[in-house]
Amino acid sequence: MKKRDTLFWAGVGFLFLVLLFAVFGPHIRHDHLTQGDTIHDLPNAKHWLGTDELGRDIFARLAYGGRLSLMIGLTVQTFAITFGIIMGAVGVFAPSWIRTPVLRFTDAMFAFPDLLIALLIIGLWSPGVIPVMVALSITSWPGMARLVRSQLVSLKDREYVIAARAAGASTTYVVMRHILPQMIGIILAVAMIDLAGTILSESTLSFIGIGIQPPTPSWGAMINNARGEMQSHPVPLIWPCLVLSMTIFALNFVGDGLRARLDPKSGRT
Amino acid sequence: MRLAKAISLRVLFGAISLLFITFIAFIADEIAPGDAATVAAGEKATIAQIELQRKRLGLDRPWTVRYVEMLGNLSHGDFGKSYVGTKEPVADIIKRTLPMTARTAFLAMLVAIIIGVTMGTIAAVYENRLGDRTILILSTLGVTVPNFVLAPLLVYLWCLNPNKFAQFVSYGNISELPMNWTPDRVAPDFYYLLIPVMVLSLRPMAMLTRLTRASMVETMKQEFIKLATAKGVPPFRLIVGHALRNAILPVVTAIGTSFGFLLTGSFVIERFFTMPGLGSTAIEAILQTNGPVIIGTIIVSGFLFIFVNMIVDILLPILDPRIREAQV
Repeated sequence: MKKRDTLFWAGVGFLFLVLLFAVFGPHIRHDHLTQGDTIHDLPNAKHWLGTDELGRDIFARLAYGGRLSLMIGLTVQTFAITFGIIMGAVGVFAPSWIRTPVLRFTDAMFAFPDLLIALLIIGLWSPGVIPVMVALSITSWPGMARLVRSQLVSLKDREYVIAARAAGASTTYVVMRHILPQMIGIILAVAMIDLAGTILSESTLSFIGIGIQPPTPSWGAMINNARGEMQSHPVPLIWPCLVLSMTIFALNFVGDGLRARLDPKSGRT
Repeated sequence: MRLAKAISLRVLFGAISLLFITFIAFIADEIAPGDAATVAAGEKATIAQIELQRKRLGLDRPWTVRYVEMLGNLSHGDFGKSYVGTKEPVADIIKRTLPMTARTAFLAMLVAIIIGVTMGTIAAVYENRLGDRTILILSTLGVTVPNFVLAPLLVYLWCLNPNKFAQFVSYGNISELPMNWTPDRVAPDFYYLLIPVMVLSLRPMAMLTRLTRASMVETMKQEFIKLATAKGVPPFRLIVGHALRNAILPVVTAIGTSFGFLLTGSFVIERFFTMPGLGSTAIEAILQTNGPVIIGTIIVSGFLFIFVNMIVDILLPILDPRIREAQV
């Protein structure tokens, strides 16, 4: 137990560092964000993490890419939580002629590979930050809706909900005032795990060249650019790989830990 | 009889899912800027010329008519023509690129199932011991490390020899790559596919490992296993014949889902190893805003996904009498 706690707090600490890095990093180092300096510099006093194949500062680009990734991820997850709660509530409280198609649609969207739909949307629209955000938002909510629905089903017949209803409270009021506060913890924990998925999808799209477009830096595109010369110059490849993997790992780990704390039933797997 | 009914219901559901994808593709195409008329009219066309083309191509008709027409065309394999280059029919492009993707994906799935189930079983048998811990850590890494991080890492470790490196990292000369399974070409094919398949199978492998472990741990605690142990069933038969046989069902279900990850993973892998498959074709089409090719490749990928899930769902009642009984 003790050891698991230490690891959990290490994860939290790392995520806090990533957040600081994304918020303040671009202010600390921004000289060679898009214009080059000496190419393939090893880490030194001027370029803390070295420079890439065009001489751009890796620290600045990592920080800026991280900021963009987090921004996209948080926007998408905010949408997913909002829309997931709405669809989840509809799936429980709406009359059955609305409820059934909504549930079927949610299940179909949940089962289908997210990235395939995202590719279709971006492909027919255009690459860029906004299309990526929209495409990932459209595919992000079904998991949340299913979670909200299962929680609502187990909470809606509790005594305090029935009491509130008997006192004349509307469905919306009961959900917002009495049920939502009960499940907001678990929703945030799952959103954290989903945030890892969103960041992964975003960097995947950027890696294959249809996400965030150059010269705007992103972790996925940095990996794509650096792989060409990875044999002779592995440094520009190592940093984004390391930061991306560790961020995703930490988000999963901390999210899982949070969920296990809040919902003992799910912590077993 | 029940089984036949369950299967036909599942096929019907698969058909509806397929209809759903074509509809999403159609809507996305409608909303997107630019259409076949703007392409046909050329770059310097006036608005009147574009309108003329629109009439000629029948794009001025209501969307319902055009959607039904699209379904009709799709049903006999007509995906339209590519906007760029030689205006090659999309069906031909798919015919050329699908075998590469399908082969890599199914091979990776096979590797993932075999190794994943084995590792999961081993982990469950040695629950909370060193082997279990190691497998658990490895599988956690497998789920979280993106495949485009893993691919360069593996290539780097594998091919420290520069000649080998060049061979693995690029399928540059497409014409050299055999597209048909002929006995004399199988060996070089597998050689080329080694690293892509390894990278691609890792994530589903890790997912199946975790799932098999969880399911096996649960099953090993049940009464009938205690009974079988007491009866003196030899360990291997106990684990494989009694426990795994019962624990495998959630794993089979998960194969469908992990195939989705594998499919999207193949987009990345094909891009990374410049393999001429469905994924790299789709990405190229996206970069050229080549509508018909995008829609064609995504629909075919979606079809693969639905097909695999359908097979899995049909397999379940055949594997498990309990589900067979429960189905009406």
